[in-house]
Amino acid sequence: MTRYLLGSFQASERRWIVVAALVLLPVFFLPVLPVWTMKLWAPQYPEGLQLTIYAHTIKGDLDNINTLNHYVGMHKITPDDFDEFRYMPQLLTFFGVMALLAALVNRRWLAVLGWLGFTAFAVYMFRDYANWLYHYGHDLDPRAALKLEAFTPPLIGYKQMANFKVWSLPGPGTLLLGFAWLLGPIVFWIERRAERQSAESVAKTVGVPA
Amino acid sequence: MKRKIGLALLAIAILAWAVASGCTRMAGGAGGSAAQKTYVKPGEHDTHYAFLSGGHSGQVFVYGLPSCRYITTIPVFTPEPAKGYGYDEESKAMLGGFTWGDAHHPGLSETNGNFDGRWLFINDMPHARIARIDLKDFTTREIYGPIPNISAAHACPYPTPNTEYVFAASRFSAPVPTNKVAKVEDYVKDFKGVIAGIKVSSEGRMSMGFEILMPPFHWDLSDAGKGPSHGWQFFTCYNSEMAHDTLEVKASQAEMDYVAAVDWRAAQKAVDEGKADMIGGAPVLNPEKVKGIVYLVPTPKSPHGMDVNPTGEYICASGKLQAEVSVFSFKKLMAAIDAKKFEKEIMGVPVLAYDDVLEAKVPVGLGPLHTEFDGKGFAYTSLFLDSQVAKWKVGTWEVVDKIDVYYSIGHLSVAEGATMNPTGEYLLALDKLSKDRYLPVGPSHPEGAQLIDLRGNKMELLYDFPTYPEPHYGQIISASKIKPLKIYPLSENKNPHAIKSAEEARVERKGKRVDAYMVAVRTHFTPDVIRVAAGDTVYFHVTNLEQDIDITHGFGILNSNIDMQVEPGETKTVKWVATAAGITPFYCSNFCSALHQEMQGYLEVAAAGTRIAGVQRPPKKQVEEVAALLRRR
Repeated sequence: MTRYLLGSFQASERRWIVVAALVLLPVFFLPVLPVWTMKLWAPQYPEGLQLTIYAHTIKGDLDNINTLNHYVGMHKITPDDFDEFRYMPQLLTFFGVMALLAALVNRRWLAVLGWLGFTAFAVYMFRDYANWLYHYGHDLDPRAALKLEAFTPPLIGYKQMANFKVWSLPGPGTLLLGFAWLLGPIVFWIERRAERQSAESVAKTVGVPA
Repeated sequence: MKRKIGLALLAIAILAWAVASGCTRMAGGAGGSAAQKTYVKPGEHDTHYAFLSGGHSGQVFVYGLPSCRYITTIPVFTPEPAKGYGYDEESKAMLGGFTWGDAHHPGLSETNGNFDGRWLFINDMPHARIARIDLKDFTTREIYGPIPNISAAHACPYPTPNTEYVFAASRFSAPVPTNKVAKVEDYVKDFKGVIAGIKVSSEGRMSMGFEILMPPFHWDLSDAGKGPSHGWQFFTCYNSEMAHDTLEVKASQAEMDYVAAVDWRAAQKAVDEGKADMIGGAPVLNPEKVKGIVYLVPTPKSPHGMDVNPTGEYICASGKLQAEVSVFSFKKLMAAIDAKKFEKEIMGVPVLAYDDVLEAKVPVGLGPLHTEFDGKGFAYTSLFLDSQVAKWKVGTWEVVDKIDVYYSIGHLSVAEGATMNPTGEYLLALDKLSKDRYLPVGPSHPEGAQLIDLRGNKMELLYDFPTYPEPHYGQIISASKIKPLKIYPLSENKNPHAIKSAEEARVERKGKRVDAYMVAVRTHFTPDVIRVAAGDTVYFHVTNLEQDIDITHGFGILNSNIDMQVEPGETKTVKWVATAAGITPFYCSNFCSALHQEMQGYLEVAAAGTRIAGVQRPPKKQVEEVAALLRRR
């Protein structure tokens, strides 16, 4: 294992690392691919209201949603409130650069380190998102016209909240990031298999057990 | 036995269910009963808009077809509190002090002879005005006129195939200029008819093109030439007898009246070459001096309807006191003009020979008023006296079908039937009388309309519905051609009085003039307490900050004549004079949300002469509180 980690890449492995890097480099998805979408329907909003979260901002029917939310005393949602939008693109770029660097200097341990960092980052972001949702649903203005029981909007999936039906789903950006993340274990597994097979074939020719 | 009956009942039930479920269909599909053909499922949209003129209500009524559902009223010539029209400064100025109009003929804008869904023009007959409604928001945006020298614009507006012009012609001849002192008995000597061509810019703005001095007949209806006849405009008239009293007798004696053919390119050229006299501020061409711009064609008995068929080849005039439609050929008209084959001149206007220009006479029935066309080569003529619509074939000139309507039909409207490519699925009969057709409501009866299906060989009556007084004419356009705004984007609001946040809300005074810059958003006004002094004139500039569909806010002031309706993203201004000291509440008059009742404020009027600050701002704390009542972290 240690030998493996300190080793350099096979050609195919290296190609996959570059693919992961390109996916992570925000140039490819930041302006266009949302990382998360939330859609809300109410009887008087059959067309639905949409919140679209990108790595760098939040878009959609913000004004309408804020206007409606003020009845229950929710915080106003504005892109300026989120430090995440300031560091998320940079961090994604950082992980992309790290993967490229790993491919460039041809060191496996760098790729593994990057992957572990990226995993930690992903876990943190999910936690963070969940905290935000909790915050918006719990920290309600006591003077609001409509008193609601505290609630948490869905992180993923469906929930009925007051007169709204809410669907929350990852966007194409997150799916791509997930794909880049999965490349780590996949490549690792492919490589290990290849090594085992070559070790077996060596053992066969030499005539010693592998 | 019992079992057999049970089985039979079950079979019947299954059959009934199969038939019923087989009947779910798109709106207005062919086949099925009349009820099915007009049924539009809850939540679904009609396939056509019908714009009906509102007659002396001065408005336009919008219906959806085939359901015949009333959709909305577009206020045009009459103040309308429901939409705040004629109350805010802008629309009040547009109305020019008039509080009524008589809106007769809607005319949708055209490109290449087809409805393009940009604008709807409509005339105000008695005040010789033309309004332009923008179909982006179904709102009157321009009222042009009163057009000088025109006494009642009845033959109006009838846009040309690329909306180069809209027209007006005087229904009542009168001295020109109209302020000339005259005696009615000198009618023939001193009175004149006038035809006006009003230019329309690419943005829709109207301006004076030319006027033509005509014999003092009563100019009635009009239509634009198209295709080969593009560049010509045709008018019918009655009272070529030139009677000036007891018209019903004296103006109905002659066997022939006239159709006038105006070459509008030649007329505009003559004006541009300086051949016109300026009368009443308009360039007027006199046919005694300027030749080649207008001709008369004799036409039987007080013709009303003036309709050019889709190919632009035939000009159909309905002699309302005759049982025929006279069809003239544009080719023959041109040939006669080119050959200079004139019978005589009337006040400088050459008169062609009836037989030289006539193509056919179609024996439609009694009291023919108006003709429109479908896309399959048929024409439909309304018959006032017969209370019927006659269907006839263009080219063979045979009447192929008739259908009863209820009662005394005036104009009719075929889907896009005034264009070069009528879609022709439906015909709307616009009746002058309804008598016993609907639930009785006393002596003032509603008018009536019938929807008739034109898709089969025979006309089929689908629906019958009452209308508010008094649609004269309507135009039907495919719904897909109109794409109205859902809201006004706040980012595009360029109104100089607009403010876009509660932080900008303020009240400024200069002498006795006070300007209140306000915002409205669910569910408060900012500011909501405004201090003025008796004798002040206050202008309220209210911006609706909403960008949500259908969240209109009203602005009504108690014990006043003031109520505005401000749409999402819009800014409107209304003037109010603080007459007496005291407290006057104002409120949102358009139900907007759960806390609509709370959307109100107070005008605090101090005694006259009280010193009040030059700028009032709502308390900072309040602005923070109401910055949409939205807290920030």
